[in-house]
Amino acid sequence: MIELIGVTKTYGKKQSTFKALDNINFTIPDGASVAIVGKSGSGKSTLMHVMSGLDRPEQGQVVIDGVDILKLKVKAVDMFRSKKIGFIFQAFFVQANETTYENVALPLEIANVSAGERRRRVIEALRTVELTDKVKEKARNLSGGQKQRLAIARAIVNSPRILFADEPTGNLDTQTGETIESLLFGLNKNGGSTLVIVTHDEELAAKCDMKIYIKDGQVDRVVGGEG
Amino acid sequence: MKTLDIIRRAGRSLRNAKTRTILTSLAIAVGAFTIAISLAAGEGARQYANKLIGSNVNPQVLFVVKDQALFQAGVGQTGLTVYSEDNGTTPRGITIQQLTQADIDKFTARTDVQNVTPVYNPQLKYVTFEGSDKKFSGEVTSYDTTIINNATFGTLPKLGTQLGLDEVVLPTTFADTLVEQKVITQPQALIGKNVSMTISAATVQPTVDEITAAFTTGGQVAVVALTKPKTKVITLKIVALTKQSATALTGTNAFQISSEQARIIAEYTTKGTSAYQKYPGVTMLAKPGIDPAAVKADLKAQGYAPQTAKDLQSLIFTIVNTLQGIVLGFGVIALIASVFGIVNTQYISVLERTREIGLMKALGMRGRHVSRLFQFEAAWIGFLGGTIGAIIAVIVGTLLNPVITKALDLGDGTSLLIFQPIPIILMIAGLMLIAMLAGYFPALKASKLDPIEALRTE
Repeated sequence: MIELIGVTKTYGKKQSTFKALDNINFTIPDGASVAIVGKSGSGKSTLMHVMSGLDRPEQGQVVIDGVDILKLKVKAVDMFRSKKIGFIFQAFFVQANETTYENVALPLEIANVSAGERRRRVIEALRTVELTDKVKEKARNLSGGQKQRLAIARAIVNSPRILFADEPTGNLDTQTGETIESLLFGLNKNGGSTLVIVTHDEELAAKCDMKIYIKDGQVDRVVGGEG
Repeated sequence: MKTLDIIRRAGRSLRNAKTRTILTSLAIAVGAFTIAISLAAGEGARQYANKLIGSNVNPQVLFVVKDQALFQAGVGQTGLTVYSEDNGTTPRGITIQQLTQADIDKFTARTDVQNVTPVYNPQLKYVTFEGSDKKFSGEVTSYDTTIINNATFGTLPKLGTQLGLDEVVLPTTFADTLVEQKVITQPQALIGKNVSMTISAATVQPTVDEITAAFTTGGQVAVVALTKPKTKVITLKIVALTKQSATALTGTNAFQISSEQARIIAEYTTKGTSAYQKYPGVTMLAKPGIDPAAVKADLKAQGYAPQTAKDLQSLIFTIVNTLQGIVLGFGVIALIASVFGIVNTQYISVLERTREIGLMKALGMRGRHVSRLFQFEAAWIGFLGGTIGAIIAVIVGTLLNPVITKALDLGDGTSLLIFQPIPIILMIAGLMLIAMLAGYFPALKASKLDPIEALRTE
């Protein structure tokens, strides 16, 4: 369960302050698929950063599985991200120079997983996204859809509790985008991990159990779910 | 994250930027090359010096002087010294305290030394060679029985044996001069020939009584004869010509005569002057089984300045070490330059890989590990540079060794550049450490990078 209580994040200093997030409150149940919907600059990306422990708001609590991650030390937050969070970005952020295998192995290396276990999990993740035939391929030689599938494999390889996807289909054509969407929702339904999609795409948002609309740093409305 | 994984990742990142990595490494390789060469040259020079001393100097030998100033590196000016009747002047014009006959007698009386031989300072007026009346001047020294000499012609006494009283040894270069001067036709013709050495006694101011006596007996002529220096001719037989050996320590460029003959000449030429029976130094051998260092300590306690063969060795080593230090200095300067190269390269690398760093941090990689990743990359560059430099140095050294040996006439089987694995390994390890230190600031920058900023899409 992810619970945000009174989260406020301000950028800038003194006169030129800008409230990116203003008293955000909501609760996301385990295993849900959630869309955080908003226009560019609405604060939806900042919200994702706050929920994943990358960014620290001045006020409020971010309680994940009963722990307020804002109270944790940097080391513990890093650990939390490496064990419980998976990220998928609009621009993929795969290491072009590295092979598919090396890309997917990175989170496991960070999480200190033994080499044998790593191998098993990487192959399993690549099987899930159907990239087993590209294990030794350099990431730069993959197509856009394959790169995003690679990014998904990397995000799920350490079996995270929460999967954050920031405009996952933004850089893909419609058909490829649909493949990625069905992959993400499949993982959410079968794997039981919470899926949080940050998007401005209403069509994609409509496929989620719960939609949180953000406007000017505030929760505009919540549709679906328990909220 | 495991250190091994970080090291592997660091290596992989470098492989992805091959050109840059190699160019940066080459800068370090220049420094590494210089250092490796200086290490090899230092080692080679020390081994050569050892060989030289080992094959030339009897380890039991001691050289004793009265005045420590003779051994000091900055011999030139002694400043104000206490006047003594025994003071003398070295050939270089330095006033030093000399040993007297009493000192020599004291040494001879010792039970732990043998072959006590004072350094005589025999002076010649001129010499002539059998079959010619051309006069030549030249220096004369006593034959050193403690070093190995090689004869080009004739035969030399065995090591430790002195020349006969009427024998003389000439350096081959003298023979060359004589051939030029048409005294002889070829060097070997000298063997068996006689050399006549004319020596003159010191001018002694005659007393008034002596002048009066001379005038009454011989008139004006007798008085002139009285004040005229007396001369004497000593005839010696040439037994050998010595050659300058490749491993000879000192090149004697003088007539070499027996020490007894040297004493006779020195005493004749100095009789009546303050230099009579004064010696700048004395050589002696510690008796077999006696440690020359113990003799040295005892002599030192008595106020003498003794030196052993070992001291000579350390003196040469000091010179070698100084020269090595200079070359090493150039290597270090090259390294300092390359350190800035590493800093620059790593800064660029951090900038280029902002996204990668951001991603790694987003995935939970600790700042410490990010920093380590970049430091290990720098260490890899150091390792690569050190290895390239060392390999080139070994190749160049191996190719140059025969050339150097020939050019410097070091003698066969002697190499001036000797590469040893341990110093080279230590050097590479040191370079890796330096490279890591150089990579510190770029690594710090990487570790401080904000992942949100880094991952913001343009």
